[in-house]
Amino acid sequence: MILTIESIDRQKHPGLIDQMFRMRAEVFSGRLGWEVNVVDDRETDRFDDEDPLYLLSVSEETGVLQGAVRLLPTTGPYMLRDVFSVLVPGGAPESPLIWESSRFAINPRVFSVAERAEANHIVHKTTLELLCGIVEVCRSAGIDHVVSVFDARMARIFRAADCPYEVIGTPARIGKTMTYAGVFAMTDTMRSRLGAVGDLPSTVLAGPSWQPGEGLGERHVA
Amino acid sequence: MKNDENTKTEASLKEIGGAANQVMIEAVICSLASRYGVKSAAYLGAGISGMPASEPFLAVTYSADWVEHYKEHRYVRIDPVVSIGLRRLLPFDWTEFGEPEGVLKTFFGEASEFGLGRRGLTIPVHGRGGDRALFTITTDLSERDWKREKLHYMRDFQLLAVHIHDKVLELEGAPVSRAKLSPRELECLLWVSDGKTAWECSVILGLSEHTVRCYLESARYKLNASSNTHAVSIAHRSGLFFPIL
Repeated sequence: MILTIESIDRQKHPGLIDQMFRMRAEVFSGRLGWEVNVVDDRETDRFDDEDPLYLLSVSEETGVLQGAVRLLPTTGPYMLRDVFSVLVPGGAPESPLIWESSRFAINPRVFSVAERAEANHIVHKTTLELLCGIVEVCRSAGIDHVVSVFDARMARIFRAADCPYEVIGTPARIGKTMTYAGVFAMTDTMRSRLGAVGDLPSTVLAGPSWQPGEGLGERHVA
Repeated sequence: MKNDENTKTEASLKEIGGAANQVMIEAVICSLASRYGVKSAAYLGAGISGMPASEPFLAVTYSADWVEHYKEHRYVRIDPVVSIGLRRLLPFDWTEFGEPEGVLKTFFGEASEFGLGRRGLTIPVHGRGGDRALFTITTDLSERDWKREKLHYMRDFQLLAVHIHDKVLELEGAPVSRAKLSPRELECLLWVSDGKTAWECSVILGLSEHTVRCYLESARYKLNASSNTHAVSIAHRSGLFFPIL
């Protein structure tokens, strides 16, 4: 289940938001060895100050954070243009109808304790839930496309999720990692496709009054 | 997108582009309010260069009296749409504020006396330099009709919100510096100038149609164009096609 949390509402979910920043540190610094800013075991960057929208995948049963991603408009500061411009030497996309997705991470704790098969299933399900969440949020906000910077590992995850994208600009090796900029169509077709793969036919977005530990909470039919 | 919908967006964007001062901006907002059948529309900009946060830039379709009233009572301090909205990303409906009480009740009550509709939708704008704005429309439609209209027009409203914001920045002497077109964006525009559809472009360039549409959307925004035709014309005038041709 996906919680959408606006930056100004972060203090309404202090535990989950903190888990998110800790998870980002574990994944991006700990596991992937990226050069990111980690303070007190939490990873943040300047784009967290630009009031992004956070999507958190939360277990309905346990209320534990399973994964997260954030969205930013391309009309404001965003990563592809401001940090990864090397990937788009001709210029990055910019439009009120194009957003960027970044800091996509699955909580390592979720799969390290479980059996391998179960772990893979949770990772797969969480990934699809987050992707569905992005599409649903964008559809509701009138957003047509999402761009994202990702590495080969993430590209494999998209392929496994049958989540189509198109590379824009020129892939480049950043540090040790082959990195790409891609664009994703925010359409009903995309949502159906992801829904079929992840067995997520109805909305993944939690109702506004959902609280952790409340099980299913309110459901709005998409 | 159906033709008449394209026309609405295009006409609105053209009008915004042609506004040369505050009065014209207000006239434009009135015009698009009527075009979209909404009861009122308003733009509020904050953090625009040189303007203190306590003095937002306002352009509204409802009475100037309300603006006076708003400023006199310093409503910018309690207006939930403003205090919350300026830090939001998703468009939000006023229903999330539930039944207002106390000062807010007075605030919303007075607003409706001055001609605001009962239902409101606010589109936040995030600008390049951290500047923020809100574009709000109100209606008196039924809940069901409103739900449908919102979904239908959300994309348009996103475009209008940002274009009005950019125009205000320009008029306030802080014009948005627009990024230059990427080679692919230019290529798509060139094929469109040759009469090709997005689908035909996609076949010619070996891309998906969605990607072509994405390039065209970005190209239109970067050129501040109201349509593909307009974008092509601007590109021609600016000599952008010369290196390719």
